[in-house]
Amino acid sequence: MDQAALTLKDLWPCFEGIIPATIATCAKDGTPNISYVSQVHYVDPDHVAISFQFFNKTRKNIAEHPFACVMVLDPRAMQAYRLSLRYERSESSGPLFQAMSLQLQAIASHAGMSDVFRLRAADIYAVQRIERVEGITSLPTPAQDERPPSLFIEPNLHALRVIGERLNRAECLGELLETALHCLDEFFGLHQTMLLLADEKRGKLQTIASRGYPENGVGSEVGFGEGLIGTVATAKLPLRLSGLDHTLRYARAVRDRAEAVSGPDAVCREIPLPGLSNASTQIAVPLMLRGRCLGVLVAETLEPLTLLIREEALMAIVAGHLAAGIEQSAHETDDPIAVDTPVAAPSSIRSALSPRSFCFYHADDCIFVDGEYLIKNVPGRILWRILKQHQDEQRVEFTNRELRMDSWLGLPEWKDNFETRLILLRKRLEQKCPDVRLVPRGRGRFALETSVNIILSEKPA
Amino acid sequence: MIPPAIVDLLHTGVSVNVGTRDADLMPECTRGWGIWVEPDGKAVTLLLTESASAHTLLNLRDNGLIAITCSRPTDHVTCQLKGTVSRVRPATPQDYERQRQWRRAFLGELMAVGVPAEQVEAIIMQPAVAVEIQVTGVFAQTPGPGAGEQV
Repeated sequence: MDQAALTLKDLWPCFEGIIPATIATCAKDGTPNISYVSQVHYVDPDHVAISFQFFNKTRKNIAEHPFACVMVLDPRAMQAYRLSLRYERSESSGPLFQAMSLQLQAIASHAGMSDVFRLRAADIYAVQRIERVEGITSLPTPAQDERPPSLFIEPNLHALRVIGERLNRAECLGELLETALHCLDEFFGLHQTMLLLADEKRGKLQTIASRGYPENGVGSEVGFGEGLIGTVATAKLPLRLSGLDHTLRYARAVRDRAEAVSGPDAVCREIPLPGLSNASTQIAVPLMLRGRCLGVLVAETLEPLTLLIREEALMAIVAGHLAAGIEQSAHETDDPIAVDTPVAAPSSIRSALSPRSFCFYHADDCIFVDGEYLIKNVPGRILWRILKQHQDEQRVEFTNRELRMDSWLGLPEWKDNFETRLILLRKRLEQKCPDVRLVPRGRGRFALETSVNIILSEKPA
Repeated sequence: MIPPAIVDLLHTGVSVNVGTRDADLMPECTRGWGIWVEPDGKAVTLLLTESASAHTLLNLRDNGLIAITCSRPTDHVTCQLKGTVSRVRPATPQDYERQRQWRRAFLGELMAVGVPAEQVEAIIMQPAVAVEIQVTGVFAQTPGPGAGEQV
């Protein structure tokens, strides 16, 4: 093996803990020390982690003089390697610590020593030099091609695992959607994303979450078959468009249309689709579940050649998780589970607060706030119901169940994902009227919190 | 004096790990292939190979400070000796005879913990350099609480 080309990855069999490693350190007074190490963990191409269980001489020496020499052995041929290390930091929480701690605990519990063998920290060292120790064994080192390529996890695969775990931890639909977009940004650099859910009855896709745009665009709609997003929903296949021509930029088209109808006399009842007007590439993947398209996940970028087949594949996997999560949330019980958080009492000095005027248009179930379009259809009716009860009965807390059973709202009887309507409503309020908030109070329950004087009016049909 | 329990341990086929440092206090580790206690009970002799331990031998010739951790593979009973090197010399036929005794016990230990015989047989232990050490400290090093305490 070419020593100059040795990397930590070449040493993979050494990190399986089969032959114990040793660590040499030196005290400030020059006294050397050598001891065994429970675990040498591969962290990344430039770092290893060493388990710290006991306050011992090694720890003391490292604190005084942060250099160490570790000898690891490849158990296949007893080939030894020296690693020259420099201590960087200690981690006592996080995934690496947890993984090392769990391994140690398993060993300790086998030996009935759970209290004694406890990982205090994962000490992270930078690897400054790797040396193959010559003249240790007469056996040849196994050739490179004998190594399983799967031992070191590919970063995208690791990221997908983390994303899957985070999505499965989401407590509610809103958290699930936010987590998905956040993760696509954090792990894959997809800074501009949006998620639209299908309303099969109306043949529309409605934006329920977005990330990376000045306006969240929640509530904006695209028809099935319209533009990139609508086409993906109909075809139920992912689509990637590079070098986008103006006419293909659906976001821009919808925005233009919205602007066109909002003259000085016209009132705009369209929410513009979020989107980069000069995107170079867009990817849209359907959220598929048992042959149904539940929605479309979209990413776009200004940078050419950054959204490629890799991103499409990663998004498709995330979209699959999302589809399962969304479907699951539709089946969750509405039984309210309360949490112990105080509900803000209605203000007794209401008259001193600044006013916000909400107007409900019965003709199209549309609500305007201070003359600006807020929301329509079912979420519009939900908000109106809440605001009316707040005004008439001073109610602040509501349950999904009571609203679901309210026939005036006109909710479909079966398989309606009520939570998506609340998310939409909540986000529209955040964008257009942040003084009025719908705050979750545990599953199936929420409260109306407001710091303004709400004035209601109605326009009959 | 090296305590009798440690003398006994050192004669049971322990694995031998050596720590040294250079003039800049940069540590170095290597493996030793044989160790025994001299009749005076204060000194030990250690065998190293030049090829695998070149840097260690440079350090020993420079400052003579050494740490040796010896561990019995089958039960992890471990001790660390600290000392000063009094002499580094080529191994003699007598040294090789002591090494053969240690090697027999060491190979038995390794095979008992599942190391394949062909791997054990392939370890290169000769030609060796003998390192004579005056022991200045003995420490218990068996994993767990109490590790690091002076014996």
